[in-house]
Amino acid sequence: MRMNWLSKSLVAAGLALAPAAALAADFPTKDVRIVVPFKPGGGVDASSRILAEYGNKHMTKAKLEVENRAGGDGVVGQTFAAKAKADGYTVLAMTSSVVTNPILKQTGYKLEDFRPVALYNTDPEVIAVGADSPFKTIGDLVAASKQRPLTTTIAGIATSHHMAGLALEDAAGMKFTYVPTTGFGAQLQAVMGGHVELGLFPLGEIKKHADAGTVRILSVAADSRLDILPEVPTWQESGLAIKRWTTFRGWAVPKGTPDAAVKYLSDLLGKISADPAYIKQMNDYGFLVAYKDAAGFTEEVNDYAEVTARVIAKHGLTEKP
Amino acid sequence: MTEIALGFATLLDPAVLGFLMIGILAGLIVGSIPGLNDNIAFAIFIPLSFSLSSTYALALMVGLYCSCAVGGSIPAIMVKVPGTASSVLTAIDGHAMARSGKAGQALGIAITSSVFGGVSSALVLLLFAPPMAAFALRFGYVENFSLGLLGMASVLGLLGGSMIKGLISAVLGLLVATVGFSQQTGLPRFTLGIDSLYEGVPFVPLLVGLFGVTAVLDLAEELIRDRRKGATPRQMPRITDSLMLDWRMTKRLLPTWLQCSAIGNVIGIIPGAGMLMAIYMGYERISHRYKRLFAGKPGEPEWGEGAPEGIAAPEAANNAVVASSMVPLLSLGIPGNSVSALFIGALMIQGMVPGPLLFIDHPDIAWMIIVAFLVANVLMWPVSYALVRTISGLVFRMPKAVLVPTISLLCLTGAYSDENSMFSIGVALAAGVVGYVTRRLGIPHAPLILALVLGRTIEDNLGNALAISGGDWTIFVDPVGHPISLALILGAAAFMLAPLAAETRNRYRRRATLKMEA
Repeated sequence: MRMNWLSKSLVAAGLALAPAAALAADFPTKDVRIVVPFKPGGGVDASSRILAEYGNKHMTKAKLEVENRAGGDGVVGQTFAAKAKADGYTVLAMTSSVVTNPILKQTGYKLEDFRPVALYNTDPEVIAVGADSPFKTIGDLVAASKQRPLTTTIAGIATSHHMAGLALEDAAGMKFTYVPTTGFGAQLQAVMGGHVELGLFPLGEIKKHADAGTVRILSVAADSRLDILPEVPTWQESGLAIKRWTTFRGWAVPKGTPDAAVKYLSDLLGKISADPAYIKQMNDYGFLVAYKDAAGFTEEVNDYAEVTARVIAKHGLTEKP
Repeated sequence: MTEIALGFATLLDPAVLGFLMIGILAGLIVGSIPGLNDNIAFAIFIPLSFSLSSTYALALMVGLYCSCAVGGSIPAIMVKVPGTASSVLTAIDGHAMARSGKAGQALGIAITSSVFGGVSSALVLLLFAPPMAAFALRFGYVENFSLGLLGMASVLGLLGGSMIKGLISAVLGLLVATVGFSQQTGLPRFTLGIDSLYEGVPFVPLLVGLFGVTAVLDLAEELIRDRRKGATPRQMPRITDSLMLDWRMTKRLLPTWLQCSAIGNVIGIIPGAGMLMAIYMGYERISHRYKRLFAGKPGEPEWGEGAPEGIAAPEAANNAVVASSMVPLLSLGIPGNSVSALFIGALMIQGMVPGPLLFIDHPDIAWMIIVAFLVANVLMWPVSYALVRTISGLVFRMPKAVLVPTISLLCLTGAYSDENSMFSIGVALAAGVVGYVTRRLGIPHAPLILALVLGRTIEDNLGNALAISGGDWTIFVDPVGHPISLALILGAAAFMLAPLAAETRNRYRRRATLKMEA
C-alpha cells in the first residue's frame, strides 16, 4: 500500500507533535517556580508561600517553588518572568502593578507579554482614619472633604491607591492632598499619629489594625458588604459613586505558554481555593480568597486596565517625554 | 509581672533557647562577612520559618538581630572593612587601635559596648514600651525632617582634618541619594533606564564597594609596594593582647556607654530614623568629650586614630537601636526600621500580626520576643568573647597575598546576594574604584554614607511636611504645633555653630596667651 503525499505528511506531523502533546498532558514533569518580584516578607510573598504549601498537597510529580526576584519596585522580577521560557514552569505572582508599570515606567515588558492563569485574591480599597479622628462616619469625612482638601496618606504616587483617591475626587467630588509614603507601615504611623487626616489602604494591610482598635475603617470599595466587616458600608452605599476598587493577586505565565499547562495551573489554584484550611489561613492574614479561572482573571485584568488607563490619562500620571 | 514570667516560660524551652543560640552564632558569622547582614539573613530565614514552629523562628531572628552588629565590628577592626553598615565608624578608630598592637582591646571594647547598649535597649523594650511608643507616634513628617537635619549636622563632628573635603563627601552622598524614583512624583529620576536603579543605588553593594573593595585595593597596593622594596610584606594586625577590659577602662567608658545607649534608644523607637543616625550622633557627641578630656594627653591618640571612645560610642549606639526598634512594632504594629519590618513577615507566616492584638491573642509569643532580646544580649557577651578569636583568626590572620583575593571574593559574594544580580557586583566594583580615588584625594567616606541615607529621609519628609502645611515653611519652627521639631532644629543649629564658637574661643585664648607672653 502506498500512502499519498498528504497522508505521509500527516503521519510525519503527528510524529513530530506527539512529544509536544505528551509533554503538555504530562505537565508538570519538573518543579514549577513562582517568581515573586519582591523581597520575602510582604503580602505577595506570604500568599505565594501559602499557595505553594497547599498546592504541593495536590501535586505528585513536581512541586511549586517560590523564588524571590526583587528590585525596581517589582519591575525586575516582572521583566524576568515575561522573558522566561513559555513552558508553564515559570509563573509570575501577578499583581495589579503589572498593568500599570508598563504605562507609568519604561519597563522592558508589556501587559500583553503575559497570559493570565487564574486569580486567587482580591483586596478592596478602604478609607481609614486613626482611632482619635474626629471623623466618626464616612458621612463626616465626605462633608469635610468637600469644604477643603483632606490630607491623605497613600502608599506612593501613581499606585493603585493614589488612583483610587483620584477616582474618588472625580466621582464623588471629594478633595484630597496626597501624602505619599514608601510603605503601609509608614502610612499606619501617619494615620495613627494624626499626622494626616485619612489613609487609603488595601483592606488586607489594615484589617488587623482595625480589629485592634488603633484605626477605624469608614468605607470599603467592595461590591457588597463583607462578612468580615459587616458594620462597614461599601463605597456605593456611602454615596461615593464607585462600585468597586480592588487590587488583585493571581498567577500569570509568559505569552505562548501551552493551553494544557495553563489549564493545569488554573485548575490547581481552583483546587487550592476550595480547601477550608487554606481559606482559614488566608483570612487570618486579612486576605479574601477569590478564585477566578483564566477567562475570569483575564476579564478582571482588562477591567482594571481600562479603569486605571482612564485615571492615568485624565490626571497625567505618566512620565512626560 | 505574670506576663514577663509567661515570656520566660516560653523562652526557657531548651529547643527555643537552642534556636536563640544558633541565631547569636549565625549573627556573629553573617555580620562578619562584608555585604551579608541581618536583612539578607532574615530573607533566607523567613521562608524557612514556614516549617518551623513560630517560637523557634522568632528566637532565631532575635538572636541574629542582636549579634549581627557585633559580628560586623570584627572585620572593621581587623582589616578596616565594616562587616555591616553599623560598623562604618567603628572601623576608623578600631582599625587604628588594632594596628597599634591593641587588637584584643579594640575587640573587647566593641563587644562590651555592644552588650551594654543591647541590654539597655532590651530593658527599654521590657519596661517602658508603651510610653515610648506614644512618644514615637508624635514623630510625623515635620519632626522627621528636622531629625534628619540634626543628623546631617552631626556630620560636622566627623570632619577632623579638612572641612571642605568632608563637605565634598557629604554632597556626593546627597547626590547619589537623588538616584531612584522620586516619592513626590512617583517617577524614576536619573536611573538611565536601568530597572535595578529604580529603588535607588542599592545600598549594600555600594557599602561593600566603598569600604571592602577600597580596602582590597589599598592592601594590594601595600603588597606591591612591599614586594618592590624587596621587604617581606607586613602582617595584618593580630590579637596579641588581652580581650578583657580592666576596671580603669570600664570606668572610663561608662559615661560614653550611657550617653550613646540613650541616643540609640531614642533614635531606635522613632520609626524610620534608622540605626546609622544613632551611630553618627553618638560618635559626634563623644568626639567632643574625648577632645576635652583625653586628646593630647600622654599615651592618648588623636580622635580617629585609635581612641577607645571611637569604638565604644558607635558600638553602644548600634546595639541600643536593636531592641528599641521593636517598641513601635510590638506596641503599635509600626515597624521601627527595615529589619524589624521583617519580623512582620515572620509573624504573618504564622498568621499573627504585630501590634496590640498580639498581646491579647498570643501573649506567650509577644512576651517571649521581648524577654528574648534581654536574654540574647546577655548570652551574646560570653559567646562573642569565646568566638571572636576564632572568627578573626579564621580569615583575617592569612598572609596579605591570600587575604586580598579572599576579601574580594567575600565582598563580591556579599554584594551579589543582596538582590541576586550581577548588577550589584557592578555597583560594588564601581563604588570601589570611586572609593579608592576619593581616598587618595583625602576625602573621608563616613559623611558620604550618612548623607546617602539621610538624603532620602530629608527630601521625602520635606515634601510631605510642605504638602500638609500647604507650602508654609514656618511649620518646622511652630512652637505650639510642632515643639519637637523646633527643639531639633535648634539642636541642629547648635551642632553647626558649636565648632565655630570653639574655634573663635581658641583663637581668642591663643591671642590672650600671646599677649601675656609679650
